[in-house]
Amino acid sequence: MNQIPLLTTLVFLPLIGALLLILLTGRVRIARIIALSIGLAETILACSAWFCQSTYSISTTAPNGFFLFEDIPWIEQLGIRYTLGMDGISLLLVILTAVVTVVSMLVSWRSINERVALHYILLLAMQSGIMGVFLSLDLFLFYLFWELMLIPMFFLIGIWGHGRNVYSAVKFFIFTMFGSLLMLLAIIGVYLIHGMQSGSYSFGLAELTGTHFSTATGLWLYAAFLLAFAIKFPLLPLHTWLPDAHTDAPTAGSVILAGLLLKTGAYGLIRFGYPLFPEAARIMTPFVIFLAVAGIIYASWIAFAQKDMKRLIAYSSIGHMGFVALGIAVWTPVALSGAVLQMVNHGLTTTALFALVGMLDERAHTRQIEDYGGLWDKVPIFSAFFVLFAMASAGLPGLNNFVGEFLILAGSFKAVPLATAFAFVGVILPLVYTVRLIQEVIFQEERRELPMPDLTSRELSVLAFLALCDIYIGLHPAPLLEILKTPVALLTGGAP
Amino acid sequence: MTVNDLWIALPLMILAIGALLTLLIGALARDDKAANLIAVAATLGAACWLMQTPPATVAPTLGLSAAGLPRLFGTFFTLLAAGVLCLSSGYNRERDINGEEYPATVLFTTFGMLALASATNLLTLFLGLEAMSFGFYILVAIDLKRAASGETGLKYLLPGALSTAFLAFGIALLYCISGTLDIRESTQLTLLSGRPDPIAMAGWACLLAGLSFKLSLVPAHLWTPDVYQGAPAPVVAFLSGGSKGAAILLLLLLLPQAADTTLLRVPLWGLALLSMLVGNLAALLQNRVRRMLAYSSIAQMGYVVIALICGKEGGYQAAAYYAMAYGTISLAAFGAIAVLERNGCGETVDDYRGLGSRQPFAAGVLALALFALAGIPPTAGFTGKFLIFTAAIRSGEIVLAIIGILLAAVSIYYYLRVIAALYFKHADIHKNEFPADRPNSLEYTILTAASLLVLLLGLWPGALINLLSQIFLQL
Repeated sequence: MNQIPLLTTLVFLPLIGALLLILLTGRVRIARIIALSIGLAETILACSAWFCQSTYSISTTAPNGFFLFEDIPWIEQLGIRYTLGMDGISLLLVILTAVVTVVSMLVSWRSINERVALHYILLLAMQSGIMGVFLSLDLFLFYLFWELMLIPMFFLIGIWGHGRNVYSAVKFFIFTMFGSLLMLLAIIGVYLIHGMQSGSYSFGLAELTGTHFSTATGLWLYAAFLLAFAIKFPLLPLHTWLPDAHTDAPTAGSVILAGLLLKTGAYGLIRFGYPLFPEAARIMTPFVIFLAVAGIIYASWIAFAQKDMKRLIAYSSIGHMGFVALGIAVWTPVALSGAVLQMVNHGLTTTALFALVGMLDERAHTRQIEDYGGLWDKVPIFSAFFVLFAMASAGLPGLNNFVGEFLILAGSFKAVPLATAFAFVGVILPLVYTVRLIQEVIFQEERRELPMPDLTSRELSVLAFLALCDIYIGLHPAPLLEILKTPVALLTGGAP
Repeated sequence: MTVNDLWIALPLMILAIGALLTLLIGALARDDKAANLIAVAATLGAACWLMQTPPATVAPTLGLSAAGLPRLFGTFFTLLAAGVLCLSSGYNRERDINGEEYPATVLFTTFGMLALASATNLLTLFLGLEAMSFGFYILVAIDLKRAASGETGLKYLLPGALSTAFLAFGIALLYCISGTLDIRESTQLTLLSGRPDPIAMAGWACLLAGLSFKLSLVPAHLWTPDVYQGAPAPVVAFLSGGSKGAAILLLLLLLPQAADTTLLRVPLWGLALLSMLVGNLAALLQNRVRRMLAYSSIAQMGYVVIALICGKEGGYQAAAYYAMAYGTISLAAFGAIAVLERNGCGETVDDYRGLGSRQPFAAGVLALALFALAGIPPTAGFTGKFLIFTAAIRSGEIVLAIIGILLAAVSIYYYLRVIAALYFKHADIHKNEFPADRPNSLEYTILTAASLLVLLLGLWPGALINLLSQIFLQL
């Protein structure tokens, strides 16, 4: 155990900040500054966790691969413990969470003018929930955070959203709850089966791993977990909430939704789905691969027909998350590292794209592709970033998404050559709609007179930071892959 | 009467004497404030006394017990009554409900609940239930200046009287078979699954029919929406938390751990399924917030019945937990509605639009209560549902658990509709401007306490779970 409980601080600092902000309702400027400083402090804390890797194996009780671990009893009567742990996978996602939250605060710095304090309270509360999801190693605690992160997003879409905001917010909430309530039943089922087998009731992941299920029971329980995670992913037939939620959410909401919430489903599958039900997961693998590949192609196809830029990026997210699903389903070390890396990459790139669209919307109050044109001459710096991030999203070599996609495809080709061949089509399709997007918005002749000042220094710094991350990961992903090596090897059953 | 008897009967006496004093003060001073003060003091005094550990747990001559379960629920009922009395003062002034009869009736009703809770004898139990029901017949119709009030009262009184007749007849039949009025003995003698006695079965059928009315289980639920809509909001809080809590407790007393309840499984299964189905689906169609909450309460009681079916696998604890959680949530929800209505808010969901920013406190409490009813963590509602479903899966009622959880997911829609109305951006948000009055200090205190309790029961349920498992171990 460390002297300072770093993980607890990571999880609860934003929540404490949110409570502090309740007192400051009405004082816009101070609320903004306090929220941002908490976000930055959180980022520093998250990055400092990077350096804790060297002080490995501090605690003997920690499961293998977890370099930070906190564990205290919580509701002892039911065997529920407060267990947080960080391994390489969590580390990357925690840093991503901290960064994306700061970005979401900065992009909504000027565009949110009503109930400002509440906006930041919700952003911070959501950050707590997401941090908790990425760090919990107790199923009950995980479920708690899993639900906790929904409520702020529901309010973000509903209060500051536009268009059919009420419809989208409610649809988002109910879709997710359907999956998670069935998962709750499955969690209880796992808990009881383990308890009856071993005599000690526990929700801890380490204790529950290795519980033996009969094939049918295992399949049912795994199906419930998979449903909850597939809705978040989102996998093909369950994706319909996502375009609506994205389109109607405010910029900060879209950024967090695409950058972070979609990752929680993938993370849940990696951390809980596969380790708890190895047999059922193996049986269901072809099914998941089919859905993933179908999603890649279908979403890219639909994205091509979109007129609203936010909707287009939303569909492209479904496609990119299909790659992540493919990498996880194959479950080889290379593909799994690629999937985790792709989660980070997609988080950074889509965050930037939604931020860019948000900036356009803030200036011209429209997100329709057909209203724009000729931005290259009017706002060159903005356009340069737009092209860069769009190209990164399309998987241009040298930028980050390429690395992830390459690893996923390389890792899965041996295992499932046919599916991988189809997924290759999915690499080309994004290029088509992205080039069309760039051509129409940036290079085509101006179609409407729109007020279009170039980037402010705040916007510039956000985009420049994200661009640096993209290029760095694109050129030199080795440090990230190094971190992932141990946990991925442990998960896939090889030697660390 | 020994000292021991006195010790056990004292909370009941405090309440009865408090009620009489309230009436006397009213006759002398015509001052509602004094009457209210005495009533709150009486409930708090009874609650304090109940929290003491008594020297002995039964008073056989009185048919009363002071074991763990009665004391826990007694404390809960008296505190709930205190909360309701505090919330009523502002609401009643606004609605022009004057006079000392209101606090006195609340005290008599609490007296009935407490008698029911501490009964060891079927007659005491019935008398307590009757005292409670009579109190509620008056309370739901107490708002004499409103025309709808009499209708509400009648709609509650007629089925209520019928259900009481069923209960009395059921008790008589049980007595006729078992030859004893002692609750535990008579239930054990009549619930022998090997050779079901037709008269005993008829007795249990009558008891279940009567109790389904009290719990508003489908098909005995028809009074619920009308009463929830017509009665004063604090009274609804009391009815929803107290009367239903008492009915759950009654079932817990009637179905002790030792008895074999397999015979009751099929009827209870049907009641649970129908209540969850009808309650949740009908609530989807409601446009008025109170009617929606009425149907939601029908559905919530369906979940409690699941727990009762799985009693031996921790279901009884879950039911007791849920009774208290639901009572606290009801107090918060209807307390918040009382504050909103006192300030002129209408009754449809559309009338609640934009209240989140104009009445932040009351709207916040209502939103929390709705999230709790929807079973979203970290609230008491989530922990309660968690315990119920754990018990259900443990005893193999997986079909019922899956139906229940799917309907719970459906139910989220109607709770969210109200929350969306309170907080979300709407085009016609300034349709219903009315001056934003602040809640008074009593309302602040009670609603804050209820909200904190809702969160506390969700975050640290360990203490109550521990207490309940100790209590049920002794039974």
